[in-house]
Formats: sequence, C-alpha cells, structure tokens
Amino acid sequence: MTEPEVFADATAMRGTGAAMIELEHVDKFFGDFQALRDINLKVAAQEVVVVIGPSGSGKSTMIRCINRLEEHDGGRIVVDGTELSNDIRNIQEIRRETGMVFQSFNLFPHLSVLDNITLAPRKVRKMPKAKAEELGMELLEMVKIPEQAGKYPGQLSGGQQQRVAIARSLAMKPKVMLFDEPTSALDPEMINEVLDTMKELASSGMTMIVVTHEMGFAREVADRVVFMADGQIVEVGTPEHFFENPTEDRTKLFLSQIL
Amino acid sequence: MTGTAHRSGPVVWARHNLFRSPVDALLTVVFGAVSVWLLYKTLSFIFVTGRWDIIRVNLRLLMIGRFPEAHELRLVVTVICLAAWGGFLAGFIRARQIRSGRISDNDVSITSRGADIAARLWLPAVVVLLLLLLSSTAGPWIMVGLAIAAAVVGRLIGPFAGRPKLGPAGTAVVYAGLGAVPVALYFYVVTAVGFDDWGGFMLNLFLAVCAIVLCFPLGILLALGRRSTLPLVRLVCTSYIELVRGAPLFVLLLLANVALGFFVPDSLAPSTSTRAIVVFTLFTAAYMAEIIRGGLQSVPRGQLEAAKAVGLSPARQTGYIVLPQALRNVIPAQIGQLISLFKDTTLAGIAMGLFELLNVSTAIPAQEQFRGQGLIGETITFAALMFWTVAFTMSRESQRLERRLGVGDR
Repeated sequence: MTEPEVFADATAMRGTGAAMIELEHVDKFFGDFQALRDINLKVAAQEVVVVIGPSGSGKSTMIRCINRLEEHDGGRIVVDGTELSNDIRNIQEIRRETGMVFQSFNLFPHLSVLDNITLAPRKVRKMPKAKAEELGMELLEMVKIPEQAGKYPGQLSGGQQQRVAIARSLAMKPKVMLFDEPTSALDPEMINEVLDTMKELASSGMTMIVVTHEMGFAREVADRVVFMADGQIVEVGTPEHFFENPTEDRTKLFLSQIL
Repeated sequence: MTGTAHRSGPVVWARHNLFRSPVDALLTVVFGAVSVWLLYKTLSFIFVTGRWDIIRVNLRLLMIGRFPEAHELRLVVTVICLAAWGGFLAGFIRARQIRSGRISDNDVSITSRGADIAARLWLPAVVVLLLLLLSSTAGPWIMVGLAIAAAVVGRLIGPFAGRPKLGPAGTAVVYAGLGAVPVALYFYVVTAVGFDDWGGFMLNLFLAVCAIVLCFPLGILLALGRRSTLPLVRLVCTSYIELVRGAPLFVLLLLANVALGFFVPDSLAPSTSTRAIVVFTLFTAAYMAEIIRGGLQSVPRGQLEAAKAVGLSPARQTGYIVLPQALRNVIPAQIGQLISLFKDTTLAGIAMGLFELLNVSTAIPAQEQFRGQGLIGETITFAALMFWTVAFTMSRESQRLERRLGVGDR
C-alpha cells in the first residue's frame, strides 16, 4: 500500500490532464457575513472531489458559485477553460456544461418524469423531441426506473425522485456534476440507491464535486476529500489520509464528532 | 334497549344530527321554520304571484337590447359559427393532448363521457330551454338547434386537424386561424350594427369576454414587471397597479365616459362600449397582476434554481417552469376575479348609460303597459338568474380545471 498522500495545496490535483474547474482566491459575502474566504481549488477532469464540513461552513455556497446560483464577490472561477463573468451568455454556457443535483430534488412537479429530463435538451440543445425522448429513456434505464417515465414527480419516492434529478442533469451531457447534499433529504432506506447511482457515475469517468455527510461514500469513491470550516478550506487529502491521519485540529474535532 | 343504538335510519340520523342537545333542537326548529317560510315565499313568487309576462314580452330587449331587427340574421350566423368553432376547438385540443400522451384515449366509455358532459352543461341547458319556452317565435328554437348541430359537427371534425403531426409552423397557422374566427365574426356583426347599438345580456357577455381575454396577458406582464430586476420597469408596474387598485371601478367608468371628452374631440373618441372594455381590462389586469404575483411567490425558490442549473434561458425559466406553476396555484383566485369582472359589467349600465341587462331590467317596468305595477322584482330576478347561471358555470369549470391540472401534485 502506498503512503497516504497529503496535499498541502488544494490546487495540487490528483487526476490527470488539465483542470476542469479552477477556483482562485474566491470570496463570497452575504451582507456583512463572509461565507467564503480565499477559496483555492482545482479539480481535474474525471476527478471525484468530496467536500465535507460542519453546516454553515460554506460547502454548498462554494459549489453554488460554480454554476452561478450564487455570485462570487472576489477571485475567479474557471469551468472548462471558460471564466465565469456577469455576461448572461457566458453564465448560460457554463450552466450547460455543469449539472447540479439538489438536496430537495427540485424536480418540476407540473411535468412528467420524461418531460423533466427532455425539457432542457429540447429547448437549450434544440434536440428533436423523438431523439430527446430516446436519450431520456436511456438515462432512466441507467438510473433503473424506466417504468416511471410517464408518472409525475409527486408520485415517486424520494430516492426515485433524486435519481430522476440525476438523469435530468445528465441529459444535458455535462462535463461536470455538482451534488449539493443529494442524500440529506432522503429516508435512510433510500440513501443507498442514490449513492449507487453516483458511484456508477463516478466510475464512468464523470468529473464530480460532491457535498455530503456520507463518510462511507467519501472513503470509497473520492479521489480527494476537502474539509471546510468557517468559509475556508482547512484540509485537503486522499480519503486514507483524511480519515486515518488528519493533520489539522479542526478536522480531528469534526471527525471525532461525527464518527 | 341495547339494539336501538346501532340502528340506522332517518329517525336515528335526525336525533344524532339535528336534536342532539336542547340547543341543537332549538336551532333546528327555528332555522327549519325560517327555511320553510323562505322556500314557500320563493316558490309562491315564482309559480303564483310572479307576473312573468313582462319577461316574455321583453325577452328580445333583455337578451340583445335595441339591436336592429334587420341585421338579426348576423347574430344568428355568429352564434352558429361560434358553436362550430367551440366544438372544433374542443376536438382539436383533445386530439392533440391524446397524441402527446397527456391524456389517454381508451379508458373513457361513451356513457361516462355523456355523464361528464351532462354534469357540466345541465344548468346552462336548463336556462337556455327556459328562454326558448319564454320566446314566442320559432326563430330561437331553430337557431339553438342549428348551433347544437354545428357544435357536434365541429367536435367531430376537430380531431382530424389535431391528430396529424403539424410541426411548429403548422401549429401556429392552425392557432392563428382559430384565433381569427371570433375576430372575423366580431367585424361581421359590428360593420352592420355599430357597437353602441348592442345591448342586453349579449353586451354583458361580450364586454366580459373581451376584458377577460385582454386582461389576462396584461396581468401576467404586470406581475412579472413588478418582480423585474430593472428598477424602471418595476416602478412603472407597481405605480400602475397601486394607482388602479386605489380607484373604485365605478369612478373609472365615469371618468372614461366624461373625462375623455376633455382630451379627445368627439369625432375621434372611441365608442362608449369600447371605453367600457378598456376600463374593465385595465382595472381587472391590476387585480390579476397581484393574484399572479402571489402565485409567482408561491413557487419554491428551488424550482427557479433547477431551471437555471439545467441551462434554461431567463425567458424559458419563467415560461416553462415558474409561470405554469404560479398560474396553476392561483386558479381559484383568478377565476374569482374574472367572475367578479363579469358581474361588474352591470356597472357600465349605470355609469356609462350602456343598455346592458341590468339597465334593461330596471327600465322595462316603466313601460306603458307595465307602469305602476311594481314588476321590478320579476325583471331583477331574471337578471340575477342570468348572471348566476354564467358565474356558477365559470366557477364549476374552474374547479374542473384545478382537478385536471392538479395531477402532478399527488
């Protein structure tokens, strides 16, 4: 077994090739409150980064800045070579390449499951309806609920809804997937079906940033674990390093509280 | 006597629901007596003391006002065409919904469809039959018969236009054609008989339909404008809404009637009925805007975020995700406002002198043959029945719409 790897610098990527996502000196304020302080993070193509930390530490805010659901106040964010600016067309371009899965699913309740998935490809990518539906059914096969295509989100269980939400994001063929606590709103018996889908996605080579409290998932799937507290990145490392040999006191305290 | 407690029947039911305690019993007796007395008075008015010949004699005036007899045929043609159009539209839309898989085709039997139609239409049908029985000529019977036949034919043809794949251009053409029909019929009638010679219940209906069709999009724009990120747009929309909502409708109608003369020479001023439509539209749009704004606020924030995250443009975020949910959430309030608008068309009679149903109803008891006989109760009752029939039908259709659109909630 190799020595656990320690990343003194969060921008030292583990994956290969060019950076898919770069955050440099990113700051974010909500009024007087500073939610993000000088965030530096590079994520390589095909890398899976799991972000953990106590609530209010800025994990969700950080990934919501990447697709501009929140506007960062300082620093730069670059997604697949495109720097995020205030130009709406630039924002749209980054959102097309970035899928996001939310804690509360946020499926469109007035559209059927299949329409939820095909809406964006049809309207944004101008895909013909038949082709979009073919793609939608493929994705539903992938998340193992093709038989639910005609139903409405309200008729599905939480785990099924979250899998539809993953399929909906994938329908835009994004280069990056952002997960914002995807299992936190689920009943315990449904968590695994969603995590399994995410594992499959990770092994298919998708670039992923996952905010989660599922330590088992972090251990098993993450290439790197990022620990955040008080709006800062405190520690970055491989799962082995992070769970067995953390260097920072803040990290040790957090792990002692949850494990 | 253990057996009696479990027995059911009218006596047990009455004891349980009406006479459970002395207070219950007292309330039951008092309200029972009052109800019986009211029912007796009402029935005796309708069947014994009421003198309904004033309605029979003036039926034409009540329904279409002083519309010239020479051009009546144009109204008949219009009614029949509208019936065919309505039938066609219903068949067309249904076929398209079936084709897109939104509703299924085969799980509804003929009898349940029939029962459904009967449940929806029995009230207007009864009232139309009553009107036909009151009319002294064969003309209206023929018109209604032809209109029903036209509606059925339209309904049967509609699916043939709705079934094939049309594509965006074809769909646009069909909808434009369907939209042009009522407009063409309006010009067909109005070129023969000027707007100000229209009257009776027909005028109430026409004012209401025009204002409803126009106020809805305007209300949506105002609601979106009030939530706009552009300060100027927000200011204009907010000021408009607050200004209009602060004024009584009656005052606005009077203003449109009187004050317009200060600004525009008489020869250029629009007809009184047109002004009424404009006022009703602008007034109701302000209320609709606030109702729709409430709907927009009821859509969870996550919906907009999800719409953004999948890459939809701002216009599509609103058009495909936020607005459909917002409008659905406030259907009862919207329909309530439109019912209110429909009934408020009576104000145009008093404020602007339009010869609409209420104005006719209050005028005809002063006719020579009925003067001094106190028949205003009969005429007002008739007007009330007309308004209630339409308003109640609107209300029931709104509940139906709610049920149908509520599918995704369960």
